[in-house]
Amino acid sequence: MSVSANDNASKASMRGFLAKYSVLIAFAAIVIFFSVASPTFLTPANLFNVLVNNVVMLAIVALGLTIVISSGGIDLSVGVSVDMASMIFVMLLAAGYSGVVGVAGGLGAALIVGILNAILITRLNISPFLATLGVLFIGQSTQQLATSGGQPIYLTSGYAADQFNAIARTALFGIPTPVIVLIVLAVVVHLLLHRSVFGRYVQAMGAQPGVAWYSGIRVPRELSMVHVLCALLAGVTGILLSATVKSYVPLSGNAFLLDAIGATFIGTTLSRERKPSVIGTLLGVLLLAIVKNGLLLVGWNFYWQQVGIGVLVFLVLAASFGLRRAAH
Amino acid sequence: MSATVLHTEVGVSDEKQAAAKSAGRRFGALVVRLGAIAAFAAIMAYFVIFAPGFTSTFNLINVVEQSAILGVLAYGMTAVIIGGGSDVTEGGIDLSIAANMGLCAAVYATLLSMGYGDFLSVMAAIAVGMAVGALNALAVVGLGILPLLATLAVLNVAAGMELTLTQNTVVGASSPLLGVLVSGSFFGISALAWALIVFSAVMIVVVHGTSFGLRLYAVGGHPEAARAAGISVPFYVSFTYVLSGFCAAVASILTVSRLSASTPGSGELLLSVLAAALLGTVFSRRFVPTMGGTLLSVLFIGLLANGFQLLNVSSYWVNGVQGALILLVVAITSFARGSEGSR
Amino acid sequence: MQTAKRDIAVSMTGISKRFGPVRALENANLEIARGSILGLVGQNGAGKSTIIKVLAGIIKPDSGSIVVNGETVSTLTPASVEKLGVHFIHQDRLLVPTATVGEAVFLGHEIGLGPFVSRRAMERRAADLLKRFFGMELPAGTLVKDLTTAQQKVVQITRALAQKASVLVLDEPTAALVKREVDSLFDVLRRLRDDGIAVVFISHYMQEIEKLCDRVTVMRNGTDVGTVDPRQTPIDEIIAMMIARDVGEMFPKRSVELGAPVLEVSNLRLGGSFENIGFNVRAGEIVGLTGLLGSGAKEIVQCLFGLKTADGGEVKVEGRELSLSTPVKAVRDGIAMLPEDRRAHGVALGLSVRENISLASLRRYSRTGMVSRGAENQAVDGLIKELSIKTPHRDALVRELSGGNQQKVAIAKWLSCQSRVYVLDEPTVAVDVGAKVEIYNLLNRLAGEGAAILLLSSDLLELVGVCDRVLVVYRGRLAGSFSGPAMNSDALLAASSGARSNADGVAA
Repeated sequence: MSVSANDNASKASMRGFLAKYSVLIAFAAIVIFFSVASPTFLTPANLFNVLVNNVVMLAIVALGLTIVISSGGIDLSVGVSVDMASMIFVMLLAAGYSGVVGVAGGLGAALIVGILNAILITRLNISPFLATLGVLFIGQSTQQLATSGGQPIYLTSGYAADQFNAIARTALFGIPTPVIVLIVLAVVVHLLLHRSVFGRYVQAMGAQPGVAWYSGIRVPRELSMVHVLCALLAGVTGILLSATVKSYVPLSGNAFLLDAIGATFIGTTLSRERKPSVIGTLLGVLLLAIVKNGLLLVGWNFYWQQVGIGVLVFLVLAASFGLRRAAH
Repeated sequence: MSATVLHTEVGVSDEKQAAAKSAGRRFGALVVRLGAIAAFAAIMAYFVIFAPGFTSTFNLINVVEQSAILGVLAYGMTAVIIGGGSDVTEGGIDLSIAANMGLCAAVYATLLSMGYGDFLSVMAAIAVGMAVGALNALAVVGLGILPLLATLAVLNVAAGMELTLTQNTVVGASSPLLGVLVSGSFFGISALAWALIVFSAVMIVVVHGTSFGLRLYAVGGHPEAARAAGISVPFYVSFTYVLSGFCAAVASILTVSRLSASTPGSGELLLSVLAAALLGTVFSRRFVPTMGGTLLSVLFIGLLANGFQLLNVSSYWVNGVQGALILLVVAITSFARGSEGSR
Repeated sequence: MQTAKRDIAVSMTGISKRFGPVRALENANLEIARGSILGLVGQNGAGKSTIIKVLAGIIKPDSGSIVVNGETVSTLTPASVEKLGVHFIHQDRLLVPTATVGEAVFLGHEIGLGPFVSRRAMERRAADLLKRFFGMELPAGTLVKDLTTAQQKVVQITRALAQKASVLVLDEPTAALVKREVDSLFDVLRRLRDDGIAVVFISHYMQEIEKLCDRVTVMRNGTDVGTVDPRQTPIDEIIAMMIARDVGEMFPKRSVELGAPVLEVSNLRLGGSFENIGFNVRAGEIVGLTGLLGSGAKEIVQCLFGLKTADGGEVKVEGRELSLSTPVKAVRDGIAMLPEDRRAHGVALGLSVRENISLASLRRYSRTGMVSRGAENQAVDGLIKELSIKTPHRDALVRELSGGNQQKVAIAKWLSCQSRVYVLDEPTVAVDVGAKVEIYNLLNRLAGEGAAILLLSSDLLELVGVCDRVLVVYRGRLAGSFSGPAMNSDALLAASSGARSNADGVAA
């Protein structure tokens, strides 16, 4: 408001351009750097490995968080959704149930977490941060109690388990199955968030909840849907995780939280309006995965990787918020 | 033509209504507060009756000792929430505080094991803690990043650096200072308990007895009003994050003394720290975080874990009960506020 | 000039300020003399608030000079202004809600020893001041958030008095006060004037200006158009100075054949707010609704949109009875609402013009839950053109538009729903005069197309100029319905305050 509108708009769009391309340029620089630094980085085998092991599961969780963050909320309990789906899935398979029952049970467990979040947020008017924080506490306790303090459950044998493991590790037309799952989910979430009526309502709630309510939008219902969808997507990751490692390791889902939030916010810096978007989030996940993998290949150990990722997320947040502040 | 715009005059009924509303609100708040406190008291009473040895002096001092680390951290968190406002998504929060403590502990223990003396090692730990706090302050105040996100990223940096430093191992440590903290006792109260008592006293006096504290509340409660009163909001908010880093460093020395080592996994304390700072608000008449309230909830959490232990209830329940308590307190508070009909 | 002899505390000359395309101040001047009370009047958007914010150091002017106590001040900040002894009572209550009265009064100037504060001393001093200046007693340790609006205003004034202000600027200080409080406030201000303090009093209320002020400066379109003595200048003349264009031009005439009743309200009641409310709005009719703050007029409008649920009564639209429990139902039943707080409820600043306009009618442009961009764009472009919304393109953020154009976007949202009933809550607050006329034209056109319009407003000129009929609410009941020649601002004012004879009895 302080400068003339024209001037302001052009400056803002220039900054938008800068923000957009600075991340892309950084992205390209990182890829080039690692290709030079490590001969194995750009090999198909390595990229395949990155895609399957570092991208797919994180990306699916991040898709869910993208929906929640678009609605103006946050879900700190995505890890719980991952874990609960993983736990029930593995328990059912271990008890000899078929794969269909296992998947249904796992998704059902995630659904319950989502519904719990939705009730706390829309019925009891608890802020998303506190509600999902509380669910995070309770979810951790539940897992510890169910596994006598965090003992992993392994799927030693059994038809269903092997079948799932096989699916997780095979490819369809040369594309790994988990990647196909991701592509399908990404397309669905993209259409939902950016093309559907529901997505428009989500954006409106995120931009100004009062306006959404005054426009006749059923805010509580839409918000419940947002949290249920997020939990379900995290549940899919939980099942993929268990199918891949043939086990359930308690409290392992929390590792996704920071990376998924980071990826979503990297994505917002890429979008013109600085809003979360599916494509942005996927690029964010890819960036994080490539940096992690590259750091590993050039010899950084796991601990330094964590520092590196933290610094990267910090810098992206700084760029995103700093530019937003400068634009106002 | 006498007037172009209606002058709004509030009628008698409205003033009475407003008074009744505010009285009703105060009553509602009182019920919520007393209800929550009664729930805490009931849990304590249950332990007193059914948990063997719960009320013994030895046990209670033990709880105070165990609570020292959590308490010091919770004070840092409380200061951040006071200065940043209690809106959890937009307001002040320091998610990096527990990881920061872990990093400081690693620095302290590593320097001790390398033969540097207590003085240098303590100074280094405090410098690291305050530097991490300053990084948070830079991100939140300087760059305008949401505190939730900024401190989440810093959490990762600090945790990663701790792991790098210790290679995820236990670093044993001993020194004269640690010796005093472990086995020293004055007037029959152990040094660790004294640490909590002294730290609590300082925090309570600074935050509730000085103009600094008064202004800090103004900064968090209504930044525009604080600015209009000539108070530098950025300075106060930055200060809280640096203070939070300082608290992490102090807590790190206590934790190294208690375990005679720096150990991985200190990040797990974060949830309890948050719980203590958030639960503390119910002890306040104004429903704001206070140092006294935080102390009470720290002790409550300590007694809860202790009581469960004495009753042979699995410690895995503690997290869940803390989470349920947070949800309960927040739900009741938002219900009490909602019944004012503000929406 | 006689002003040369006066003891000038603050002199602002040639102040200009632009906000984007909007010219807020254009070569405006303001002179504040010690030992006198200066009234500052003007319509919404005339620049009163802006020039005060310049003096407060909140807004930096593009040009102009400011002299305080004989010294030219180059840059003003809120802190430096306060040091110069200039204090402001802003319209929004700048008080920390969780502070006690004593803390709020002395924030930034605490009483105590060194770094330590004495809460008891602050409470006692605050209580003394409140009693001395306002005769008001509050329980010790009362929190600001538990005070009424009026009490908070009083605390704010006390805060300035406690700091020994030499210039005191009050922005609409009486807006939320009851008469007794207004009277004691005036006594305080007169006493302060006699002590040599310069007082600036901003008000919409002409009687107050006449009663209190020694001089009055009139602002219009961002500049000062004259300073007069309100005791010697008829109020009509002052109002004529405020409104440049004549009323006939401002409020376009129209003639519409009224149709059948579209909105029928009978026996509506809400405990503690209003009861026994019944009226009709016919197709093509614009009905005004007005009442003082707390009269229940606002709540009636909120009930009609489902923001509050009435305890009883009937609301029919085109003969169909509605159950209005949420805005969701109201929108579905064809009721459109233009809320007072545009930024919180009217338009989402962070969304595009297109997304805002289609928000309430998305289902029209969608099939199986997916939005058809083509249909949406077509409808949105049509509305942008129809309402002549000034926007670079349909995907520009609403944030980038002027206030009047934002309001047009909010109206366009409902046009695309083809609502039958429009409920407008103070639609022209903080909208410039040009955009006001456009909004009035728009209302006329909507009415011409057969919509029923209910306009809640406290701007009496607007009501008289725009409406076919005005309903006045007083203490939760309909106190009168005015149309034709009987519909004039005197009559509306009298009815809103419960008739002149017992107006004084209202305050107690």
